[in-house]
This record gives sequence, C-alpha cells and structure tokens, in this order.
Amino acid sequence: MTAALTGVGVTSFGRQPGPDSVEWQVEAASLALADAGVDADAVDTLITGYSTVASHLMPANLFAERFGIRPATAFGMSVGGATGLAMLAQAARLVASGTARHVLVVAGEDRASGQTRETSTRTLAQVGHRRYEVPLGGTVPAYYALLASRYLWTYGLEPASLAAFPVQMRAHAARKLGAQFQKEITVEDVLASRPVAEPLRLLDCCPVSDGGAAFVVSAAPTGDRSLEIAGTGQAHRHQHLSAMEPGASGASLAAQRALAEADLSWEAVDVYGIYDSFSITVTMLLEELGLTPPGRAGAYARAGAFEVDGRYPMNTHGGLLSYGHCGVGGGMAHLAEVAMQLRHERGASQVGGAEVGYVHADGGVLSAHVGVVLRRRS
Amino acid sequence: MERRRDDWTADVPVLMVTACGRCGNHWYLPHEHCPVCGSDEVADVAASGGGLCVAVTRLHVTAEPTDAAAGPVRLALVELDEGPVVMGRAHDDALSPGDRAVVSFRPDGHDGVLVPSFAQAGSA
Repeated sequence: MTAALTGVGVTSFGRQPGPDSVEWQVEAASLALADAGVDADAVDTLITGYSTVASHLMPANLFAERFGIRPATAFGMSVGGATGLAMLAQAARLVASGTARHVLVVAGEDRASGQTRETSTRTLAQVGHRRYEVPLGGTVPAYYALLASRYLWTYGLEPASLAAFPVQMRAHAARKLGAQFQKEITVEDVLASRPVAEPLRLLDCCPVSDGGAAFVVSAAPTGDRSLEIAGTGQAHRHQHLSAMEPGASGASLAAQRALAEADLSWEAVDVYGIYDSFSITVTMLLEELGLTPPGRAGAYARAGAFEVDGRYPMNTHGGLLSYGHCGVGGGMAHLAEVAMQLRHERGASQVGGAEVGYVHADGGVLSAHVGVVLRRRS
Repeated sequence: MERRRDDWTADVPVLMVTACGRCGNHWYLPHEHCPVCGSDEVADVAASGGGLCVAVTRLHVTAEPTDAAAGPVRLALVELDEGPVVMGRAHDDALSPGDRAVVSFRPDGHDGVLVPSFAQAGSA
C-alpha cells in the first residue's frame, strides 16, 4: 500500500465545557493540517466520525461547511470505537487507489459536557441487542464486566490482575500534556474505587471526555516527518456480546491482516497503541493478539512490559483510561501517539529507536476491529 | 427482516435457540444464515433452560435511574446445554461462574417486561 500519514492532531481531553462537537473537530483538524503542512483547501476528501451528542445525518458536510472547505468527496463513518482507525484505513485505500490526494480524517465531541451521564450511558447501551439484551437493563460497562467475570473465572484470577492496566496508563498520562487524569494511582486505589459493574470499578473504566482528534492521509509524504501506512486490517464477526465467539472476537484476524499487508511480524513492532476502554478490554485484546499468553496480561503489566522501556511499550499517552475518551477521537489518540513515537518526538517518554508501530481499536463489545501498522520512512 | 420467535421477547416464557440443518451449529440471537457455514437451512428449537454459569456482574450504574433505585442489577452469562451463551438477569445472589444454572422468567426487565433470569440449579 502506498499511503502516507502526513499529519496528526489531538486536543487536550477532559471536562472542558464550551466548544460543541463541530468546534472540537475544527480544533483537531487545524492541528493535523498544520502538522502535515497541508493547506485546508488542498483537502480533496473528508471523512468524519459520528458524535453521540450531536447526531446528524450528514456529519461530513456539517464539518466541511463550518471549517470552510469544499471537498470532492465527503462522508461519515460509524463502527463505534473502531471508527477512527477504520476511517484511516479507508483514507489509505482512497489515496492508494489514486482517488484522493489529501484525506482529512476528523472526529470530536463534547461527550462530557454536552449531555448528562444518564443520556450518555443510555446512548452507548444501544450497542446491546435491542430485543435480547437492552431490556435486561445492561450498559456498556455491564457487558464488559460480564467479559471480565468470565475471564477472571476462566484463569482463576483476582480483579487485581486487571488493575495493573489503569495503574500503568496513569503512569504514562502523568508524563503527557493534555491528559485528563495525571495523578498517579496504585492497584489498591483501583480496588478501593467504587464498583460500577462488578468486577469492574470506577478506575477500571475510562472517563467520558470532551476533545477531538484528526489525521491527514496523503498520496505522498509532505516532509521528513511523514510516516508510511504500511498495512491495515479489519474484522467484523459479531455486533452483540451474545453472538461473540469466545477467544475469536476478530482482534487477531484484523491484526494478522494488517501485518500481512505490511509484510511484517510482531517481532518488527517497537511501539503499540491498544484500545483500553476498560481494563478488561486491553487485557483481552493483548491476549487475543498473542502478545501475552492467555491469562498473563496483568502479570506482564505488573512486570513493566508496557512501560516506555518495556517489552511492549504501549499507550504512552495514557490511553483511554487516563488520557481520556471523547468517543471516536479517543481511539484516534492512540495512533497519534504512536505516530509521534515513530517520529522520535516524545522526549522523556520516547521509545528508543522506534521504527514500526501497531495500533488496534475495537468498537462495541469487541465487535468491530481495526489494526494499523505504521512505519518510519527510512 | 428480523426473525420473530415465540420466545420471551414475545412474552412466551421460553429460551429459543436456532440450529443449523447443515453443520449442526447452534446460536441464540436471530441470524438469517449460519455464521459458521452460511446455510439458510435453520430451525428454531426451545432450549432446556439449563446450563453452566460463566459470568456474573452486579451493575451499580444503570441507564435508567428508576432501575438503580431498586439496588444493583444482577446479570449473568449462561452457556446453555445446547451450546449458545445467553445473557439474563440473575435473581440468586449466590450464582457464580462455574455453577449449574437454570432459567425462569420474571417481570424484572425495564418497565416490568418478562426477562430470563438465572439461579443456581436446586435453589428455590
């Protein structure tokens, strides 16, 4: 595939009242275009993610008009938390096919300030089956809590094994400007936080945030900092938890498709961005990807495997768990962070000699998967 | 078109699963084709209602404030004897992963709708 990631932009995440969804998108897009050195009027294709706060039939037109651009192609996408990487994958295909020259990918949402917690919870719970799951009263945290319960029982583990991930993500966020939560926490803090959906507690769950993120994908590099989008892969094997095949959610399939397209194996990957909506999410993804043995992800985390100098440096911005989660933009921040690592721009958090990065996002209840392999250009 | 089944979603107190006539796969949620082999030779069968509890949660933060007022909502995943995994309520505090579970149907859903609810086999 010939596609370049020429720019990334991520705003600060947090409870930041004021801007609405489109205004967060505008801020993120401005950052990404400046990063790429691409003028707004050079964007010929626009792909936007949905906003749960400001649901709209035509999110791409809405953004384009407000931003003041007139792209030849514009459309919105929605595959839950995987949307950001799915938009990037689509952008890469459009430039590789010669259809587009500069694709702007953008998402942003005032998810924390623009709606009540009840509205947010109810909206997100609709990823459950309308007739077979939603009437039971579940929520997204409940669905993941059921996965966590099954996981802990299967491997004979205690909740403390999951708690290692929020602790690691907080340690990363403490060193990242713009993160929602930066005060370091311990496993004891996680276990003492209030139960949300047992065995998951408040600190096992990502926050809801205001913010935005954007990428520029181009047919050719715009400078030395441009990266190669070496491979993308997707899998869509179910929507609802009740239809999920245990151990075969699609995570591994998407990753193998992305690695195959890049003609690389895991050994080549230096830095990771793995979706971490809950402690159990990143745990299950790491194990299904085959990066840690089954039941051992938490032990790896406690041993420092996901630190900057660990075996699998991961989510060095703090992930959804601590940088924050503003919806589609939340899953894009992982890729922006990996891009900065591959450009060797992360200062004290720099992963030494990073050449290849892998980013993975899932939407729904491990329902939609997208993997992306990025490579530093030699 | 979603398959309509005479099961608890239509106020009939039974769990239905679908069997593939070609490969023998069984599943719970309505699918027009067998997700394993693609066959459309599918037939609904009533499940026995027994199985292995594989997950439980007590949900403290619900989407509907009226549900939260009644205390934590308990949910379970049960792997039915027929194979598929079913989500239901749990009306038995002691129900834990690894337990043998049986279903009954109770008006415990949002707005009092009939929903499957699991308890340890042999409990009241």
